[in-house]
Amino acid sequence: MLYTVNKSPLMFGNLESMLRIAPSGEPILLYEDGVYAAAAGAASEDLIRQALGDHPVYALKADLDARGLARLVDGIQVVDYGGFVELVEQHHVVPWL
Amino acid sequence: MGNKVAVLMRKAPYGSVYTAEGFRSIMGIGVFEMDISVVFVDDGVYAMVKGQNPAELDMKPLGEGFPMLPDFDVTKFYVHDRSLSERGLTPDDLVMDVEIVDDEGVARVIGSCGIVLPF
Repeated sequence: MLYTVNKSPLMFGNLESMLRIAPSGEPILLYEDGVYAAAAGAASEDLIRQALGDHPVYALKADLDARGLARLVDGIQVVDYGGFVELVEQHHVVPWL
Repeated sequence: MGNKVAVLMRKAPYGSVYTAEGFRSIMGIGVFEMDISVVFVDDGVYAMVKGQNPAELDMKPLGEGFPMLPDFDVTKFYVHDRSLSERGLTPDDLVMDVEIVDDEGVARVIGSCGIVLPF
């Protein structure tokens, strides 16, 4: 299953709640305001580092670029829309809205 | 206090219409020569980050509009220090010079205004 998160990690509990539920190994995709979780140096960095230990974590490039996010936590895999579509084709999607 | 307006920006740009609508309101209030303070707290500080490029989202960059607001007599910009540091940001990451304020500073600015508009 592909778990997707589109909410900011410092304003909403979506990322944290999803990480409690998602079984180890399942991929995670950050998009829209969810990409703020990929930012290095943010208060959410520990949470996402922990997630990276258990899951592949992807972040959508168009949303990173829009928000001026350039300094990312090591290990986050940046995908374009084509990569997004591939992930969705390969997995059932669990939108953690 | 009476006619002073604080626009309180707490949302991230692009994920919702709040930042764009807040910007439009600020410009409008400025045109009417009202005393306005713009305060960025929580994810609102992301609106002021340099290097935003939403071309692929087919949207306009929101950050680069703020430095033009002084032309509309909007000159008081405040950014909450802890909201910046919690996001791994410093004043150098912002599109313009602003006054950096602590918790009490935020309360003082919005407390000095009779009207608080939240975005």
